[in-house]
Amino acid sequence: MTSPGRPLPLPDERSQPFWDAAADHRLVLARCARCAQLCHPPDAACPHCGSTDPDFSYVAVEGSGTIRSWTVIRQSFLQGFDVPFVLVDIELAVQPELRLIGRLVDGPEVPLSLGAPVRLAFEDVASGVAVPAFALEATS
Amino acid sequence: MTGRMASSNTVAVVGYAQSPVRRHATSTLGAQTVETAREAIADAGLTVPDVDGFVTASMFPTAGAHAAVDGVSLVSANWLSAHLGVNPRYAAGFQGYGQLPGSVAMAVNAVASGAADYVLVHRALHNPSGRYHANPMTKAGGDQQWTVPQGYFGPLAMVALPYTEYVERYGATREAMAAVVVEARKNGARIPWSHWHGSPLTADEYLSETLLCDPICRLDCDIPVDGVACFVLTSAERARDLPNKPVYVAGYASGSPVRHRLPLHWPLDDIMEVGRETARRLCQSAGIGPTEIDLPQLYDGFSPFVYFWMESLSLCAPGEAHRMVLEGGIDSDQPDTVPVLSGGGALGNGRMHGVPQMLECYLQLSGRAGERQRPGATIGLACHSSPHFGGAVVYSAEPY
Repeated sequence: MTSPGRPLPLPDERSQPFWDAAADHRLVLARCARCAQLCHPPDAACPHCGSTDPDFSYVAVEGSGTIRSWTVIRQSFLQGFDVPFVLVDIELAVQPELRLIGRLVDGPEVPLSLGAPVRLAFEDVASGVAVPAFALEATS
Repeated sequence: MTGRMASSNTVAVVGYAQSPVRRHATSTLGAQTVETAREAIADAGLTVPDVDGFVTASMFPTAGAHAAVDGVSLVSANWLSAHLGVNPRYAAGFQGYGQLPGSVAMAVNAVASGAADYVLVHRALHNPSGRYHANPMTKAGGDQQWTVPQGYFGPLAMVALPYTEYVERYGATREAMAAVVVEARKNGARIPWSHWHGSPLTADEYLSETLLCDPICRLDCDIPVDGVACFVLTSAERARDLPNKPVYVAGYASGSPVRHRLPLHWPLDDIMEVGRETARRLCQSAGIGPTEIDLPQLYDGFSPFVYFWMESLSLCAPGEAHRMVLEGGIDSDQPDTVPVLSGGGALGNGRMHGVPQMLECYLQLSGRAGERQRPGATIGLACHSSPHFGGAVVYSAEPY
Protein backbone atom coordinates (compact mmCIF):
# COMPACT_ATOMS: atom_id res chain seq x y z
CA MET A 1 0.00 0.00 0.00
CA THR A 2 1.56 3.31 -1.03
CA SER A 3 -0.85 5.67 0.70
CA PRO A 4 -2.06 5.26 4.28
CA GLY A 5 -5.52 3.76 4.72
CA ARG A 6 -8.37 5.14 6.78
CA PRO A 7 -8.13 4.77 10.56
CA LEU A 8 -9.60 1.41 11.53
CA PRO A 9 -11.77 0.71 14.56
CA LEU A 10 -9.98 -0.79 17.53
CA PRO A 11 -12.68 -2.97 19.11
CA ASP A 12 -12.73 -3.57 22.86
CA GLU A 13 -14.57 -6.13 24.91
CA ARG A 14 -17.78 -4.12 24.90
CA SER A 15 -17.73 -3.17 21.20
CA GLN A 16 -16.44 -6.43 19.69
CA PRO A 17 -19.89 -7.79 18.72
CA PHE A 18 -20.72 -4.53 16.91
CA TRP A 19 -17.59 -4.69 14.76
CA ASP A 20 -17.86 -8.45 14.19
CA ALA A 21 -21.37 -7.99 12.83
CA ALA A 22 -20.35 -4.94 10.77
CA ALA A 23 -17.70 -7.09 9.06
CA ASP A 24 -20.62 -9.26 7.87
CA HIS A 25 -22.58 -6.15 6.83
CA ARG A 26 -25.02 -6.46 9.69
CA LEU A 27 -25.89 -3.71 12.18
CA VAL A 28 -26.25 -4.83 15.77
CA LEU A 29 -26.74 -2.43 18.67
CA ALA A 30 -26.43 -2.83 22.43
CA ARG A 31 -29.67 -3.38 24.33
CA CYS A 32 -29.87 -2.86 28.08
CA ALA A 33 -31.07 -6.00 29.86
CA ARG A 34 -32.75 -3.87 32.54
CA CYS A 35 -34.87 -1.46 30.44
CA ALA A 36 -34.66 -3.02 26.95
CA GLN A 37 -33.64 0.31 25.40
CA LEU A 38 -30.94 0.48 22.73
CA CYS A 39 -27.81 2.38 23.75
CA HIS A 40 -25.31 3.71 21.25
CA PRO A 41 -22.51 3.96 21.97
CA PRO A 42 -22.78 1.42 24.79
CA ASP A 43 -21.49 2.97 28.01
CA ALA A 44 -20.55 1.99 31.57
CA ALA A 45 -24.09 2.78 32.71
CA CYS A 46 -27.31 2.64 30.71
CA PRO A 47 -28.14 6.24 29.65
CA HIS A 48 -31.87 5.44 29.77
CA CYS A 49 -32.43 3.67 33.10
CA GLY A 50 -29.11 4.43 34.80
CA SER A 51 -28.27 0.79 35.52
CA THR A 52 -24.58 0.22 36.15
CA ASP A 53 -25.17 -3.44 35.27
CA PRO A 54 -26.84 -3.05 31.87
CA ASP A 55 -25.67 -6.52 30.78
CA PHE A 56 -25.84 -5.42 27.16
CA SER A 57 -26.86 -7.91 24.51
CA TYR A 58 -26.47 -7.08 20.85
CA VAL A 59 -29.59 -7.21 18.73
CA ALA A 60 -29.93 -6.93 14.96
CA VAL A 61 -31.27 -3.57 13.75
CA GLU A 62 -32.51 -3.02 10.24
CA GLY A 63 -30.89 0.40 10.07
CA SER A 64 -33.33 2.56 8.18
CA GLY A 65 -33.66 6.14 9.34
CA THR A 66 -33.90 9.79 8.44
CA ILE A 67 -31.36 12.55 7.92
CA ARG A 68 -31.18 14.95 10.87
CA SER A 69 -28.16 16.83 9.51
CA TRP A 70 -25.18 16.53 7.19
CA THR A 71 -21.88 18.06 6.16
CA VAL A 72 -19.57 17.73 3.17
CA ILE A 73 -15.99 17.18 4.29
CA ARG A 74 -13.70 18.87 1.77
CA GLN A 75 -10.55 18.88 3.90
CA SER A 76 -9.96 15.88 6.15
CA PHE A 77 -7.82 16.04 9.28
CA LEU A 78 -7.57 12.25 9.14
CA GLN A 79 -5.51 10.31 6.64
CA GLY A 80 -6.85 7.87 4.07
CA PHE A 81 -10.06 9.69 3.14
CA ASP A 82 -10.65 10.89 -0.41
CA VAL A 83 -12.39 14.26 -0.30
CA PRO A 84 -15.00 15.49 -0.74
CA PHE A 85 -17.32 13.11 1.06
CA VAL A 86 -20.67 13.47 2.82
CA LEU A 87 -21.33 12.66 6.46
CA VAL A 88 -24.92 12.26 7.61
CA ASP A 89 -26.37 12.40 11.11
CA ILE A 90 -29.07 9.73 11.10
CA GLU A 91 -31.92 9.12 13.51
CA LEU A 92 -32.67 5.42 13.28
CA ALA A 93 -36.31 4.44 12.88
CA VAL A 94 -36.04 1.74 15.53
CA GLN A 95 -35.94 4.13 18.52
CA PRO A 96 -36.44 7.90 18.94
CA GLU A 97 -33.20 9.92 19.21
CA LEU A 98 -31.01 6.91 18.46
CA ARG A 99 -28.34 8.37 16.21
CA LEU A 100 -25.55 7.09 14.00
CA ILE A 101 -23.13 9.24 12.03
CA GLY A 102 -21.77 7.74 8.84
CA ARG A 103 -20.78 8.46 5.28
CA LEU A 104 -23.47 8.83 2.62
CA VAL A 105 -22.42 6.56 -0.22
CA ASP A 106 -24.38 8.59 -2.80
CA GLY A 107 -21.61 11.22 -2.80
CA PRO A 108 -21.54 15.01 -2.46
CA GLU A 109 -23.48 15.99 -5.60
CA VAL A 110 -26.86 14.65 -4.48
CA PRO A 111 -29.26 17.27 -3.01
CA LEU A 112 -30.18 16.52 0.61
CA SER A 113 -32.93 17.64 2.94
CA LEU A 114 -33.72 17.26 6.62
CA GLY A 115 -35.92 14.23 7.17
CA ALA A 116 -34.90 12.46 3.95
CA PRO A 117 -35.10 8.67 4.37
CA VAL A 118 -31.97 6.54 4.22
CA ARG A 119 -31.13 2.86 4.41
CA LEU A 120 -28.10 1.17 5.81
CA ALA A 121 -25.01 0.50 3.67
CA PHE A 122 -21.53 -0.68 4.55
CA GLU A 123 -18.06 0.37 3.46
CA ASP A 124 -15.41 -2.36 3.32
CA VAL A 125 -12.32 -0.51 4.52
CA ALA A 126 -9.84 -3.36 5.08
CA SER A 127 -9.78 -7.11 5.06
CA GLY A 128 -12.43 -8.21 7.56
CA VAL A 129 -13.32 -4.63 8.53
CA ALA A 130 -16.47 -2.81 7.43
CA VAL A 131 -17.95 0.45 8.66
CA PRO A 132 -21.68 1.28 8.74
CA ALA A 133 -22.70 3.92 6.20
CA PHE A 134 -25.94 5.09 4.61
CA ALA A 135 -27.58 5.41 1.20
CA LEU A 136 -30.50 7.61 0.24
CA GLU A 137 -33.75 5.69 -0.03
CA ALA A 138 -35.42 6.22 -3.37
CA THR A 139 -38.51 8.33 -2.73
CA SER A 140 -41.61 7.65 -4.73
CA MET B 1 -28.64 26.43 43.14
CA THR B 2 -31.83 28.40 43.30
CA GLY B 3 -31.89 32.14 43.66
CA ARG B 4 -29.12 34.65 43.45
CA MET B 5 -25.50 33.63 44.02
CA ALA B 6 -24.57 34.29 47.65
CA SER B 7 -21.26 35.87 46.62
CA SER B 8 -22.80 38.03 43.87
CA ASN B 9 -20.79 41.28 43.51
CA THR B 10 -18.55 40.45 46.49
CA VAL B 11 -15.56 39.44 44.32
CA ALA B 12 -14.04 41.69 41.68
CA VAL B 13 -11.54 41.71 38.83
CA VAL B 14 -8.89 44.27 39.81
CA GLY B 15 -6.22 43.99 37.13
CA TYR B 16 -5.21 42.28 33.92
CA ALA B 17 -2.56 41.78 31.29
CA GLN B 18 -2.85 40.53 27.73
CA SER B 19 0.16 39.39 25.73
CA PRO B 20 0.41 40.11 22.02
CA VAL B 21 -1.64 37.51 20.11
CA ARG B 22 0.63 36.08 17.43
CA ARG B 23 0.62 33.11 15.08
CA HIS B 24 3.93 31.96 16.58
CA ALA B 25 5.50 33.77 19.51
CA THR B 26 9.26 34.16 19.74
CA SER B 27 9.41 32.93 23.36
CA THR B 28 7.95 29.79 24.93
CA LEU B 29 4.37 29.73 26.16
CA GLY B 30 5.68 29.29 29.71
CA ALA B 31 7.88 32.38 29.48
CA GLN B 32 5.03 34.43 28.00
CA THR B 33 2.75 33.30 30.81
CA VAL B 34 5.22 34.24 33.55
CA GLU B 35 5.73 37.67 31.99
CA THR B 36 2.00 38.27 31.50
CA ALA B 37 1.26 37.16 35.08
CA ARG B 38 3.86 39.58 36.51
CA GLU B 39 2.38 42.36 34.42
CA ALA B 40 -1.19 41.62 35.58
CA ILE B 41 -0.13 41.49 39.24
CA ALA B 42 1.63 44.85 38.89
CA ASP B 43 -1.37 46.25 37.03
CA ALA B 44 -3.54 45.32 40.01
CA GLY B 45 -1.21 47.27 42.31
CA LEU B 46 0.10 44.09 43.94
CA THR B 47 3.39 42.24 44.21
CA VAL B 48 3.93 38.60 43.30
CA PRO B 49 4.05 37.38 46.94
CA ASP B 50 0.58 38.91 47.52
CA VAL B 51 -0.98 36.38 45.14
CA ASP B 52 -1.97 33.26 47.04
CA GLY B 53 -4.35 31.64 44.55
CA PHE B 54 -3.85 30.36 40.99
CA VAL B 55 -6.59 29.04 38.73
CA THR B 56 -6.63 28.08 35.08
CA ALA B 57 -8.08 25.66 32.60
CA SER B 58 -4.95 24.43 30.90
CA MET B 59 -6.64 22.33 28.19
CA PHE B 60 -4.86 22.46 24.81
CA PRO B 61 -7.81 22.60 22.40
CA THR B 62 -6.56 20.58 19.46
CA ALA B 63 -7.75 17.38 17.83
CA GLY B 64 -4.25 16.95 16.42
CA ALA B 65 -1.52 14.64 17.61
CA HIS B 66 0.49 17.42 19.29
CA ALA B 67 2.10 16.68 22.64
CA ALA B 68 0.55 18.33 25.69
CA VAL B 69 3.60 19.53 27.65
CA ASP B 70 3.29 21.80 30.69
CA GLY B 71 5.12 25.07 30.10
CA VAL B 72 5.38 24.41 26.36
CA SER B 73 2.00 23.71 24.78
CA LEU B 74 -0.09 24.44 27.88
CA VAL B 75 0.47 26.06 31.28
CA SER B 76 -1.11 24.68 34.45
CA ALA B 77 -1.79 26.68 37.62
CA ASN B 78 0.92 24.79 39.49
CA TRP B 79 3.47 25.34 36.71
CA LEU B 80 2.82 29.06 36.82
CA SER B 81 2.93 29.44 40.60
CA ALA B 82 6.17 27.43 40.75
CA HIS B 83 7.77 29.58 38.06
CA LEU B 84 6.72 32.74 39.86
CA GLY B 85 8.32 31.36 43.03
CA VAL B 86 5.04 31.23 44.94
CA ASN B 87 3.78 28.51 47.25
CA PRO B 88 0.05 29.26 46.88
CA ARG B 89 -2.64 28.50 49.43
CA TYR B 90 -4.89 27.52 46.53
CA ALA B 91 -4.00 26.21 43.05
CA ALA B 92 -6.54 24.47 40.87
CA GLY B 93 -7.51 23.64 37.31
CA PHE B 94 -10.98 23.72 35.80
CA GLN B 95 -11.69 20.50 33.92
CA GLY B 96 -15.05 21.20 32.30
CA TYR B 97 -16.19 23.02 29.18
CA GLY B 98 -16.41 26.79 29.04
CA GLN B 99 -12.87 26.89 30.33
CA LEU B 100 -12.52 30.58 31.17
CA PRO B 101 -15.95 31.10 32.79
CA GLY B 102 -15.30 27.90 34.76
CA SER B 103 -11.94 29.22 35.94
CA VAL B 104 -13.46 32.55 36.96
CA ALA B 105 -16.14 30.69 38.92
CA MET B 106 -13.47 28.74 40.81
CA ALA B 107 -11.55 31.94 41.53
CA VAL B 108 -14.71 33.62 42.84
CA ASN B 109 -15.42 30.64 45.06
CA ALA B 110 -11.85 30.63 46.37
CA VAL B 111 -11.97 34.33 47.29
CA ALA B 112 -15.51 34.17 48.69
CA SER B 113 -14.67 31.17 50.87
CA GLY B 114 -11.39 32.66 52.08
CA ALA B 115 -9.33 29.89 50.47
CA ALA B 116 -7.27 32.65 48.87
CA ASP B 117 -7.19 36.45 49.04
CA TYR B 118 -5.77 37.34 45.63
CA VAL B 119 -6.32 34.86 42.79
CA LEU B 120 -4.61 34.98 39.43
CA VAL B 121 -6.69 33.47 36.61
CA HIS B 122 -4.73 32.80 33.45
CA ARG B 123 -5.37 31.26 30.05
CA ALA B 124 -2.42 30.32 27.85
CA LEU B 125 -2.99 29.13 24.28
CA HIS B 126 -0.44 27.64 21.94
CA ASN B 127 -0.23 27.19 18.20
CA PRO B 128 2.11 24.27 17.49
CA SER B 129 4.00 23.90 14.25
CA GLY B 130 2.25 21.74 11.64
CA ARG B 131 -1.47 21.50 10.94
CA TYR B 132 -3.41 22.33 14.08
CA HIS B 133 -6.05 19.57 13.97
CA ALA B 134 -4.32 17.02 11.68
CA ASN B 135 -4.06 13.58 13.23
CA PRO B 136 -2.21 10.64 11.63
CA MET B 137 -3.93 7.96 13.75
CA THR B 138 -4.29 4.58 12.07
CA LYS B 139 -6.57 3.01 14.67
CA ALA B 140 -9.39 4.49 16.73
CA GLY B 141 -10.27 2.97 20.10
CA GLY B 142 -12.43 4.07 23.01
CA ASP B 143 -15.11 6.62 22.18
CA GLN B 144 -13.44 7.51 18.89
CA GLN B 145 -14.08 4.04 17.43
CA TRP B 146 -17.73 5.08 16.92
CA THR B 147 -17.00 8.09 14.71
CA VAL B 148 -13.40 8.22 13.43
CA PRO B 149 -13.60 5.16 11.11
CA GLN B 150 -16.50 6.99 9.41
CA GLY B 151 -14.42 10.16 9.00
CA TYR B 152 -16.29 12.18 11.63
CA PHE B 153 -13.54 13.99 13.50
CA GLY B 154 -12.51 17.40 14.82
CA PRO B 155 -14.42 20.53 15.76
CA LEU B 156 -15.24 21.75 12.23
CA ALA B 157 -17.41 18.72 11.51
CA MET B 158 -18.81 18.96 15.04
CA VAL B 159 -20.05 22.52 14.43
CA ALA B 160 -21.01 21.92 10.80
CA LEU B 161 -23.80 19.50 11.76
CA PRO B 162 -25.81 21.89 13.98
CA TYR B 163 -25.03 24.76 11.59
CA THR B 164 -26.52 22.79 8.69
CA GLU B 165 -29.60 22.17 10.83
CA TYR B 166 -29.83 25.90 11.54
CA VAL B 167 -29.40 26.86 7.89
CA GLU B 168 -31.99 24.35 6.71
CA ARG B 169 -34.50 25.09 9.44
CA TYR B 170 -34.41 28.88 9.30
CA GLY B 171 -33.13 29.70 5.82
CA ALA B 172 -29.92 31.36 7.06
CA THR B 173 -27.60 32.53 4.29
CA ARG B 174 -23.83 32.89 3.96
CA GLU B 175 -24.45 36.64 3.57
CA ALA B 176 -25.81 36.68 7.13
CA MET B 177 -22.78 34.85 8.52
CA ALA B 178 -20.54 37.23 6.58
CA ALA B 179 -22.02 40.02 8.71
CA VAL B 180 -20.93 38.18 11.88
CA VAL B 181 -17.36 37.58 10.75
CA VAL B 182 -16.97 41.07 9.29
CA GLU B 183 -18.19 42.57 12.59
CA ALA B 184 -15.67 40.51 14.59
CA ARG B 185 -12.80 41.44 12.29
CA LYS B 186 -13.80 45.12 12.20
CA ASN B 187 -13.54 45.29 15.98
CA GLY B 188 -10.46 43.08 16.18
CA ALA B 189 -8.71 45.31 13.64
CA ARG B 190 -8.92 48.15 16.20
CA ILE B 191 -7.26 46.19 18.99
CA PRO B 192 -3.48 46.63 19.23
CA TRP B 193 -2.67 43.18 20.67
CA SER B 194 -4.93 41.30 18.21
CA HIS B 195 -3.50 39.03 15.55
CA TRP B 196 -5.90 40.82 13.17
CA HIS B 197 -4.91 44.37 14.21
CA GLY B 198 -5.26 46.56 11.15
CA SER B 199 -6.79 43.71 9.11
CA PRO B 200 -10.53 44.09 8.72
CA LEU B 201 -12.41 41.78 6.39
CA THR B 202 -14.99 42.50 3.71
CA ALA B 203 -18.17 40.51 3.14
CA ASP B 204 -16.94 39.73 -0.39
CA GLU B 205 -13.74 38.23 0.98
CA TYR B 206 -15.82 36.03 3.26
CA LEU B 207 -18.20 35.00 0.50
CA SER B 208 -15.40 34.09 -1.90
CA GLU B 209 -13.82 31.68 0.60
CA THR B 210 -14.21 27.99 -0.36
CA LEU B 211 -15.94 25.69 2.12
CA LEU B 212 -13.91 23.23 4.21
CA CYS B 213 -16.72 21.42 5.91
CA ASP B 214 -20.08 22.63 4.58
CA PRO B 215 -21.36 25.16 5.52
CA ILE B 216 -18.15 26.07 7.42
CA CYS B 217 -15.29 27.91 5.69
CA ARG B 218 -11.87 28.84 7.06
CA LEU B 219 -13.06 32.32 8.06
CA ASP B 220 -15.78 30.83 10.30
CA CYS B 221 -12.99 29.41 12.49
CA ASP B 222 -10.79 31.44 14.84
CA ILE B 223 -7.14 31.29 13.88
CA PRO B 224 -4.77 29.28 16.13
CA VAL B 225 -2.35 31.55 17.97
CA ASP B 226 0.16 31.87 20.78
CA GLY B 227 -1.24 34.15 23.44
CA VAL B 228 -1.73 34.59 27.18
CA ALA B 229 -4.13 36.62 29.28
CA CYS B 230 -4.15 37.01 33.07
CA PHE B 231 -6.70 38.53 35.43
CA VAL B 232 -6.42 39.22 39.17
CA LEU B 233 -9.48 38.72 41.38
CA THR B 234 -9.97 39.66 45.01
CA SER B 235 -12.75 40.62 47.39
CA ALA B 236 -14.75 43.79 46.75
CA GLU B 237 -13.56 44.98 50.16
CA ARG B 238 -9.84 44.59 49.34
CA ALA B 239 -10.46 46.02 45.88
CA ARG B 240 -11.20 49.44 47.46
CA ASP B 241 -7.52 49.84 48.34
CA LEU B 242 -6.28 48.99 44.82
CA PRO B 243 -5.62 51.42 41.96
CA ASN B 244 -8.09 50.24 39.29
CA LYS B 245 -11.82 50.56 39.32
CA PRO B 246 -13.07 47.06 40.25
CA VAL B 247 -15.38 45.09 37.99
CA TYR B 248 -17.65 42.85 40.03
CA VAL B 249 -18.62 39.25 39.30
CA ALA B 250 -22.39 39.33 39.56
CA GLY B 251 -23.04 35.68 38.72
CA TYR B 252 -22.05 32.68 36.67
CA ALA B 253 -23.53 29.52 35.20
CA SER B 254 -22.63 26.54 33.10
CA GLY B 255 -24.46 23.82 31.21
CA SER B 256 -23.74 20.24 30.20
CA PRO B 257 -25.43 17.98 27.65
CA VAL B 258 -28.14 15.80 29.12
CA ARG B 259 -28.48 13.26 26.32
CA HIS B 260 -26.09 10.42 25.70
CA ARG B 261 -24.44 11.19 22.38
CA LEU B 262 -21.68 10.08 20.07
CA PRO B 263 -18.37 11.91 20.53
CA LEU B 264 -18.52 15.50 19.17
CA HIS B 265 -22.20 15.09 18.36
CA TRP B 266 -23.92 18.38 19.20
CA PRO B 267 -27.40 18.42 17.61
CA LEU B 268 -29.03 21.85 17.40
CA ASP B 269 -31.92 20.86 19.67
CA ASP B 270 -29.46 19.79 22.40
CA ILE B 271 -27.64 23.11 22.09
CA MET B 272 -30.80 25.18 22.34
CA GLU B 273 -32.57 23.13 25.02
CA VAL B 274 -29.65 23.11 27.45
CA GLY B 275 -28.58 26.60 26.31
CA ARG B 276 -31.85 28.13 27.47
CA GLU B 277 -31.34 26.48 30.87
CA THR B 278 -27.78 27.86 31.03
CA ALA B 279 -29.18 31.34 30.36
CA ARG B 280 -31.91 30.91 32.98
CA ARG B 281 -29.34 29.84 35.59
CA LEU B 282 -27.10 32.75 34.68
CA CYS B 283 -29.80 35.35 35.13
CA GLN B 284 -30.88 33.76 38.39
CA SER B 285 -27.30 33.66 39.67
CA ALA B 286 -26.79 37.34 38.85
CA GLY B 287 -30.28 38.39 39.92
CA ILE B 288 -31.05 40.13 36.65
CA GLY B 289 -33.27 39.76 33.61
CA PRO B 290 -31.75 39.13 30.18
CA THR B 291 -32.66 42.63 28.98
CA GLU B 292 -30.49 44.22 31.68
CA ILE B 293 -27.28 42.98 30.03
CA ASP B 294 -26.00 45.89 27.95
CA LEU B 295 -22.64 44.41 26.97
CA PRO B 296 -23.12 40.76 25.98
CA GLN B 297 -19.86 39.36 24.58
CA LEU B 298 -20.61 36.12 22.79
CA TYR B 299 -18.26 33.25 22.08
CA ASP B 300 -17.39 32.91 18.43
CA GLY B 301 -14.58 30.36 18.18
CA PHE B 302 -16.74 29.02 15.37
CA SER B 303 -19.09 31.64 13.96
CA PRO B 304 -22.37 29.66 14.35
CA PHE B 305 -21.94 29.85 18.14
CA VAL B 306 -22.88 33.53 17.87
CA TYR B 307 -26.36 32.56 16.61
CA PHE B 308 -26.68 29.81 19.22
CA TRP B 309 -25.75 32.14 22.10
CA MET B 310 -27.92 35.02 20.81
CA GLU B 311 -30.95 32.76 20.77
CA SER B 312 -30.15 30.94 24.02
CA LEU B 313 -29.81 34.28 25.80
CA SER B 314 -33.07 35.56 24.22
CA LEU B 315 -31.31 38.47 22.51
CA CYS B 316 -33.67 37.60 19.65
CA ALA B 317 -36.39 35.04 18.96
CA PRO B 318 -35.41 31.45 18.05
CA GLY B 319 -34.38 31.26 14.40
CA GLU B 320 -34.06 35.05 14.10
CA ALA B 321 -30.36 35.62 14.86
CA HIS B 322 -29.34 35.37 11.20
CA ARG B 323 -31.89 38.02 10.24
CA MET B 324 -30.85 40.30 13.09
CA VAL B 325 -27.16 40.25 12.13
CA LEU B 326 -27.98 40.77 8.46
CA GLU B 327 -29.99 43.86 9.37
CA GLY B 328 -27.04 45.35 11.28
CA GLY B 329 -28.39 44.39 14.70
CA ILE B 330 -24.96 43.59 16.18
CA ASP B 331 -23.03 46.51 14.62
CA SER B 332 -21.12 47.97 17.57
CA ASP B 333 -20.75 51.32 15.80
CA GLN B 334 -24.49 51.96 15.62
CA PRO B 335 -26.74 53.12 18.45
CA ASP B 336 -29.49 50.84 19.74
CA THR B 337 -27.81 47.62 18.61
CA VAL B 338 -26.62 44.63 20.63
CA PRO B 339 -22.80 44.81 20.32
CA VAL B 340 -22.11 41.10 20.87
CA LEU B 341 -18.65 41.23 19.28
CA SER B 342 -17.45 44.71 20.29
CA GLY B 343 -14.30 43.14 21.74
CA GLY B 344 -13.56 41.40 18.44
CA GLY B 345 -14.22 37.94 19.84
CA ALA B 346 -12.07 34.99 18.86
CA LEU B 347 -12.65 35.61 15.15
CA GLY B 348 -11.24 39.13 15.52
CA ASN B 349 -8.39 38.38 17.95
CA GLY B 350 -7.29 34.77 17.48
CA ARG B 351 -8.01 31.50 19.29
CA MET B 352 -7.97 32.91 22.83
CA HIS B 353 -10.78 30.66 24.10
CA GLY B 354 -13.11 33.09 25.85
CA VAL B 355 -10.46 35.69 26.74
CA PRO B 356 -11.60 38.41 24.29
CA GLN B 357 -15.12 38.21 25.72
CA MET B 358 -13.97 38.52 29.35
CA LEU B 359 -11.38 41.17 28.53
CA GLU B 360 -13.92 43.36 26.72
CA CYS B 361 -16.25 43.17 29.72
CA TYR B 362 -13.40 44.09 32.06
CA LEU B 363 -12.03 46.95 29.93
CA GLN B 364 -15.40 48.53 29.20
CA LEU B 365 -16.84 48.19 32.71
CA SER B 366 -13.65 49.48 34.38
CA GLY B 367 -13.47 52.40 31.96
CA ARG B 368 -10.09 51.25 30.64
CA ALA B 369 -11.01 50.64 26.97
CA GLY B 370 -9.25 53.81 25.76
CA GLU B 371 -10.31 54.91 22.29
CA ARG B 372 -12.73 51.98 22.17
CA GLN B 373 -14.50 53.04 25.39
CA ARG B 374 -18.28 52.67 25.07
CA PRO B 375 -20.33 55.07 27.17
CA GLY B 376 -22.87 53.74 29.57
CA ALA B 377 -22.10 50.02 29.68
CA THR B 378 -22.92 48.73 33.16
CA ILE B 379 -23.59 44.98 32.95
CA GLY B 380 -21.54 42.67 30.75
CA LEU B 381 -21.71 39.00 29.92
CA ALA B 382 -18.78 36.88 28.75
CA CYS B 383 -19.42 33.35 27.57
CA HIS B 384 -17.36 30.53 26.18
CA SER B 385 -17.88 27.29 24.24
CA SER B 386 -21.40 26.15 23.37
CA PRO B 387 -24.53 27.22 25.28
CA HIS B 388 -25.16 23.52 26.04
CA PHE B 389 -21.59 22.63 26.92
CA GLY B 390 -19.97 25.77 28.24
CA GLY B 391 -20.40 28.63 30.63
CA ALA B 392 -20.92 32.34 31.10
CA VAL B 393 -20.18 35.04 33.66
CA VAL B 394 -22.05 38.29 34.34
CA TYR B 395 -19.87 41.29 35.25
CA SER B 396 -21.05 44.54 36.76
CA ALA B 397 -19.53 48.02 36.88
CA GLU B 398 -21.19 48.68 40.21
CA PRO B 399 -22.39 46.34 42.96
CA TYR B 400 -26.17 46.12 43.03
